[in-house]
This record gives sequence, structure tokens and C-alpha cells, in this order.
Amino acid sequence: MRIVLDRPRCEGHGLCEEAAAALMHLDHDGELVLDVEQVEDGTPQAAAAQAAVRVCPVAALSLA
Amino acid sequence: MRWMRLVDDLVANYVYAMKSEMPVSDVDLFDDAVLLDPYPTYAELRGLGPVVRLPANEVYALTRYDVVRGALADWETFSSAGGVGFNPAVNEALAGTSLASDPPVHTQLRAALTENLSPRALRGLKGRIEAKADALVADLVSQGSFDAIDAIARAFPLEVVADLIGFTGAVRADMLAWGKAANQVIGPLNQRTAESFPIAGALYEWCANVTQDDLAPDSVGHGVFLAERRGSIPPGSAGPIIHQFLAAGVENTVSALGNILTLFAAHPDQLALVREDPALVPAAFNEVLRFWAPINVWGRVTTKDVEIDGAVIPAGARVAVMLGSGNRDERHYDDPDTFSIVRNPVDHLSLGYGVHGCAGQGLARLEAHAVIDALARRVGRLVVGPETRVPHNITRSVDALPVLEVIPA
Repeated sequence: MRIVLDRPRCEGHGLCEEAAAALMHLDHDGELVLDVEQVEDGTPQAAAAQAAVRVCPVAALSLA
Repeated sequence: MRWMRLVDDLVANYVYAMKSEMPVSDVDLFDDAVLLDPYPTYAELRGLGPVVRLPANEVYALTRYDVVRGALADWETFSSAGGVGFNPAVNEALAGTSLASDPPVHTQLRAALTENLSPRALRGLKGRIEAKADALVADLVSQGSFDAIDAIARAFPLEVVADLIGFTGAVRADMLAWGKAANQVIGPLNQRTAESFPIAGALYEWCANVTQDDLAPDSVGHGVFLAERRGSIPPGSAGPIIHQFLAAGVENTVSALGNILTLFAAHPDQLALVREDPALVPAAFNEVLRFWAPINVWGRVTTKDVEIDGAVIPAGARVAVMLGSGNRDERHYDDPDTFSIVRNPVDHLSLGYGVHGCAGQGLARLEAHAVIDALARRVGRLVVGPETRVPHNITRSVDALPVLEVIPA
């Protein structure tokens, strides 16, 4: 599955980075960068992606 | 055997009625006794169903975690444009603000509000806020006796927000009362709301008349007016933005910080966990927010019929979204009535969720994390007298917490 970022909605709270540091990070300007966009279903990466989506306080992340 | 068929029909009808009938309760969510100790009542309502009709408040109450979070996520069905308050006057007053609008109107207002409030914009403030919190706590530890709500929970956010907006002078003294009233009037037209309207009105009037010259140069408040002038935010939106900074940024942070102080005074073992592992500071704040939501209940209006567990909320109905009840839902959190920071409930409902998620949460986190961190490092235990609570329509907060002695860490 693919991690989808609704960029205008992202405010840079950074909770997703805490949940899935291997998949995404805030850059020096506080903008979210998706380091990994495709994750295999049923893998630890997929679980981390789901946690990141769940924790985003403004629902800017989703899975497609 | 016609009578047996009749019985069968009756049973079938009864089962159907049980399935489709909306649970009803005579609970008044804004009754003094409920406001002072809401959790037994919330548990009773959750037991009746995920949605319960409350004739006393003319609302459909969402009681359980999943439906609360679901409604917050679904702004198209659970609209804010129809009003987030529980009386017509407040909904009229808030109409067209980012609080009480839906996308696409909301999207532009929200962007204007968060331009200076997002964690990106606030990064430069972190060090200053941490230094202020540490100095404040160090000073109080040396004093030994003080009122924790006055000395920290009120003083700290007031100073942070006043500096951020750049306002000075006499108006600072009014801010606490203004912020409390701005939340109070979200409630139904009870006596508290009636008494608070003139005070909330004074805040509204100040925000409508404030100009950039009243605000310190280089402040965020000053910048909001400059943004309006150069057209990067809609004409007339500067005043409402200042209003939200003040109303929400003072009152709700005061509540959250007061709850931090009260809960850690009561649970020194939990504060010790943070001292042993400072990485638990964010988890500690999440648990304080889950355990005592600063805002218990907030409104929405349905845009169409919504079926939940077979019961239907009709289109155009006012909905009470019970944040404070969802946070205590035993279907979602194990042992929900126990305060335990290691559970780190990152998905608590207290800051809302989705497009209307608390716009000031980045600033709130900076302030709360700084206070928790300073407390854990400097305070072993706060020896306190009994806390005082005054019923408030919307806010869960402590009004006084006498600290008799500080046992240093």
C-alpha cells in the first residue's frame, strides 16, 4: 500500500515521525518528507505506516 | 393457534424496536453535579449506547470512543458550520469563524490561523518557553507555599500568549476572565452562560477594535495585521484570529496546566517515572489530556440522517461530541479510570481530530512539556490541600490548588 500525504493539511506536528521514523521525517524547514511511500502489507513497515496515519492530529496522512 | 402468532409478532416487533430505538436519558450534561464529577454519568451514558438522545439538552450525545473519533473525522456529515455551541446566540456570534465553518471556507481561515501557530512557526520559541517554565518552577520550589493554579497554570500561558500576540498593559488582567467566559457561553442558555455573555462580549469587542498599533512590533499579533493588510489573509480576519489566540490559547492551556499540577500532586509516583525517564514527558501530557479532557463536550450539526448501531440521528440535529467520555471508554482503553502515563494514549480525543483538530496544539505541547519537565526535575512531591472546582459548562479545570509544601526532587 501507499502512504499518501495531504500536503496543504499537514501542519508539521511531527507525531507521525515519532511513530514511524524509518518512513518519514520533518526537514530543516519543518516540512514533512516521506522517505518511503510504498510499504508491503503485513510487514512491520506497514504497521508503522498505520500508526503514523492514526496519530496525525489533523488527518493529513492516509493509506491507499 | 392465532394467539401464538400474535405473541411471535409482538416479540418480533419488540426486538425490532429494541434494535432501532434510540436510547434516551434524562441526564443534563450541564448540571452542576455532572460537571463537577462527570465520569460516572458518562459511563452510564456509554452503557446505554454509542449515541443517546438527551431531551434536557436537545442533543444527540456521542458517548463512545469510536463514534466520537468517527464524527470528528467526518466533517461532511458532522458539520461545524451549523454551530459548535449549544445556544443560538453563541452560534450566531461564531458564524463564519474557523471554529464554526466547514471546508472549503474553513480551509483558508485555518491556514491564516495556523500560519503563526504551527510547530514550524513556533520552533524559535521552544528554548524561551522552556527557560521560562524552569525559572518559574525553580522560584516556586524555593517559596514552598503558593496556589498552583494562580502561580503556574494561569501565570504561564498568560505570559506566553501575551508575549506572542504582543499585547501589554491593563488588558492582560482581563484575559483570564475573558477566556473563561468565551468557553462558558458555548454551553446551553443556563445561568452560567447568561452571566458570561457580557464578559465574552467584552473580549469580542476588544478583538474587533484592536489595531496593529496596540500590539508590540515583531509580535505574531502584529504580523497577523500586516498579513491582512498585504492581502495574504482575508479582509477582516485579523480580529477573529486574535480572538482565538486569546480565548483558546489562554483558557484551555490554563485548564490543561492546572490538570497537570493537580494530577501529579495526587500521583507523585507518576511524576517519579518522568524523572527517571524524561522521554516520558509527551506520554505524561497525553495521559493528563486523556484522563481530564480540558474540554468535555463540543457541538456539531448533522447534514443528513446518520445511522449508528441501528439508531438514526436525523438530519439537522445538534450533536454533543463527548470528548471526555470517549477518553474513558473501556472499549478502547484498558482500565480507563486509572491515571497511568506509561499507556501513552497518543490517540486521545481531547484536542479533537481532523480538520478542526486544535489549532494551537503545537504551542500547548511546548508549554505543557516544559512545565512537566521542570516539575519532574525539581519537584519530588507537592503537598497540597483540597482542590477547588467551580462548575463550568465546557471546561474541566481546577480553580484553586493550595500547595502547602514542596518536597524537592
